[in-house]
Amino acid sequence: MADLRFARIGKRFGGIRALDGVDGHVDDGEILGLVGPNGSGKSTLINVLSGHYEADEGTITYGDANLTDLPPHRIIETGLARTYQIPRPFSTMTALENVSVPFMFGANPLPPPVARESAMEWLSFTGLEGLANEPIDSLNLHQLKYLELARALAARPKLLFLDEVLSGLNPTEITASIEMVRRIHASGITLVIVEHLVRVVTELASRIMVLDRGTVIADGDPKVVMQDDAVVTAYLGKRSRRAEG
Amino acid sequence: MTSTNRNTSLITLTIAVILWFMPTFRETLDYPVFFLLFGYTLFFWIAQASSWNTFTGFSGYFSFGQGAFFGAGVYAVAVLAVKRDWPLLLTFLVGGIVAAAIGLIIGVVVFRLRELRGEIFALMTLAVAFVMASIARVSPTIDGGQGAPVNNVPLPDFLGDFPTMIFRLGLIVATLAVIAAQWVQRSRLGWGLFSIRDDEDVAETLGVPTFRYKITALLITAFIAGLSGAIHSLQIGYVTIEDVFSIRVPLFVILMSILGGTKHWMGPVVGAIVVVTLNDRLNRAGFQEISDFITGGLLILMIVAVKEGLYLRMRTRPARTAIGFVAGLAIGLALGALDESLITLLAYGLGIAVLAVMLPLSWFARGRSAEAEAKVASHG
Amino acid sequence: MSLLSQSIASGILIGGLYALMSLGMSLNWGVLKIINLAHFSFILLSAYVTYELASVYGWDPFLAILITVPLFGLGGMALQWAFERFRISEFESLLLTFGLFIIFESLASTVWSADFRRIDSAANPYASSSLKIGAISLSIPTLSAFVLAVAIAFGTRYLLDQTHFGRAVRALAHDREIAGAFGVDHRKVSMQLAGLAGAYAALAGVFIAMSSSLFPGIAVEWFGIVFSVVILGGLGSTMGTLLAGIIIGTVGAVATVTWGPSTAPLVVFLILIATLLFKPDGLLGAKGGV
Repeated sequence: MADLRFARIGKRFGGIRALDGVDGHVDDGEILGLVGPNGSGKSTLINVLSGHYEADEGTITYGDANLTDLPPHRIIETGLARTYQIPRPFSTMTALENVSVPFMFGANPLPPPVARESAMEWLSFTGLEGLANEPIDSLNLHQLKYLELARALAARPKLLFLDEVLSGLNPTEITASIEMVRRIHASGITLVIVEHLVRVVTELASRIMVLDRGTVIADGDPKVVMQDDAVVTAYLGKRSRRAEG
Repeated sequence: MTSTNRNTSLITLTIAVILWFMPTFRETLDYPVFFLLFGYTLFFWIAQASSWNTFTGFSGYFSFGQGAFFGAGVYAVAVLAVKRDWPLLLTFLVGGIVAAAIGLIIGVVVFRLRELRGEIFALMTLAVAFVMASIARVSPTIDGGQGAPVNNVPLPDFLGDFPTMIFRLGLIVATLAVIAAQWVQRSRLGWGLFSIRDDEDVAETLGVPTFRYKITALLITAFIAGLSGAIHSLQIGYVTIEDVFSIRVPLFVILMSILGGTKHWMGPVVGAIVVVTLNDRLNRAGFQEISDFITGGLLILMIVAVKEGLYLRMRTRPARTAIGFVAGLAIGLALGALDESLITLLAYGLGIAVLAVMLPLSWFARGRSAEAEAKVASHG
Repeated sequence: MSLLSQSIASGILIGGLYALMSLGMSLNWGVLKIINLAHFSFILLSAYVTYELASVYGWDPFLAILITVPLFGLGGMALQWAFERFRISEFESLLLTFGLFIIFESLASTVWSADFRRIDSAANPYASSSLKIGAISLSIPTLSAFVLAVAIAFGTRYLLDQTHFGRAVRALAHDREIAGAFGVDHRKVSMQLAGLAGAYAALAGVFIAMSSSLFPGIAVEWFGIVFSVVILGGLGSTMGTLLAGIIIGTVGAVATVTWGPSTAPLVVFLILIATLLFKPDGLLGAKGGV
């Protein structure tokens, strides 16, 4: 079993406590939904767990590996990968080259020519094979989000953090993307999804963790958690005050 | 990113072998000795520009430290071979190693900084070059401000007379620099560097060992620059701090690489050939000042209009390149360039080819963007 | 001991000149995100124009300010206009102005040759005159440069803190897009600021012409000093630049009398490296400058 466990995670930015003693775990094979109002620390938590930020305090283990002090490029070798909320492609490379980079690194690095061939498979999986040799600036947001997915998958993760893969997409694209997320999970990858659209999260996730102001306020079955009083006040309460929802 | 494969390096090696025998058949081919010295100058700049580009062009970290690496090589010979009587070939190697050690120190110190901005790195490399010049000036063991002669070291005679020897030594280092750049470009190291150039944080989370890769590339750059500097000390003859640590070396490698294009190993090679040939002809014709105007003007023009560099532009416009080159040769012949030298003729060909790919295309691009703007305006 | 106090005094004064040379560079870099190597060329050309006016036309060197300040103020504005027009990034600005630097240097050596040039002492009575305070003598050109540098640093500080223009500049330094959203015309404000920087370069050039010999290659020698002052002071920080100029000037002068003249640059560059490593935002600089 390669479960991800983290305890007492703390992270400060200047005087602001973005995360304050966060405990939690991700079980092998599940889809964990990570929700909370804006600024609750969801993205910070993903950034810390994936090694993008260094935690100020706390421990992170994945299976037998202690990730706490590992540099990010070693974390991916243990099977953890992530996508970025705002796509961050390598801008001077083609779509195919973007996806081939992670194949050359990580636990089982492939030689560049082989990596290129393998990259094509994930491009096809995300439906981007027709854009393989296009420069990045010819891709639209939807395609960039898929490219972000394909590149993360190319790192051959066992556990994948999806940071708002649906934000900025139209309803048709959202439906297609949800289908994509299900297929990724079906291929045997454990998922942690951060999402604003609560409806989507409750539909996809097998468990939900709710963050508010840097602490965990609820953790459990989606239907139960979303009825929880603390969650309703902290999260839904705030949301209902907004006209656009 | 355009790929390069092992065959490219085999072709490079073949060309190098052919060039190696150029001096052997000098009497048969009946060309002036000056050609060998011109060839050496070309090799020197190809080595310097290619080595600079292997770190800076590929990783995106701008280095002004080329002068420091080059200077370390020059002074390794001036101190060890001249004052300490070390074997010359050994001091070449030491020059490369000392330069690499300086690169290692810069890299380990600077790349450990948590928030490293590109300009800070650039300034740091500039400051290191200044510090080295100051140390050389203060220390009587190195220079002491007097300058040091390198014209009386015993030369290895198996490489032939001086022009032949310097030609061949230059050829070896240029070949090494170019093959190293080709290898980096097609290897995992190169892909790691390209991803660092585009987005270093993402590269690191995707598994690229960014620290190690930057250091490795910097070591390759520094070693080759130092080695090339060591050999160049023989060509200089009398070494002074003002010349060795002047801004000229970093300036010209930057110019050549930007001119040719920093994203492909061929960029610095093309840039070096164009700049050396044109500069050589202008200087020979007594237009030193004009050649500086052209150097500065080309740099500005490239930044404003041809950001991808000459080489990639020539590849997308092969017909224009060929026609320009042939037209240049024809103009050169008509003006009697061949009477002066084959190099003058080459300068005409290159000059016109560069103009052909540069000017009309940028006009074309501007026209197109004006069209696009008009389209947007009419929609709005 | 009087040698040391004399050198500290001259160091402080020359530090004022360093600050004057660096201030425009610091504003350009900190606020406009332009690393303007042509700033060195402006100083150089201003010095040569002063030389020309004084030596050939017999002007009082101080009067050269009337010509050089408007000339290089406009030059700064023109350059900034071009940077905006071609959407030049911070990084590209370094390369582009490197190109300009070479052109201006070779322009200087075409017009004034590569030889040393110095204003005749007949036309420049200030060079040899000095103010004596006890045992310490202060040379008039550097003393005036120092006084002017202090006045300009405080004046610029006031301009940035208290005026509408200053608020626009600070908004620009922090975030160009947000500044635009609040109605700051960034094109106009940046051109004005670049003009100011050009004028500061012109002033520095006048004092350099009054106090030392000129040759085209001298501009390269300023790189180390000016970059050290700009980084140590903090990008875009006026008071920081003044303070850093005085520190660098004093340290250099003390190193000269203690260990010999060739050690001064070494000490200055070691300060630069230490600043880059341990305090990259400079003495008084905050991120984003001003």
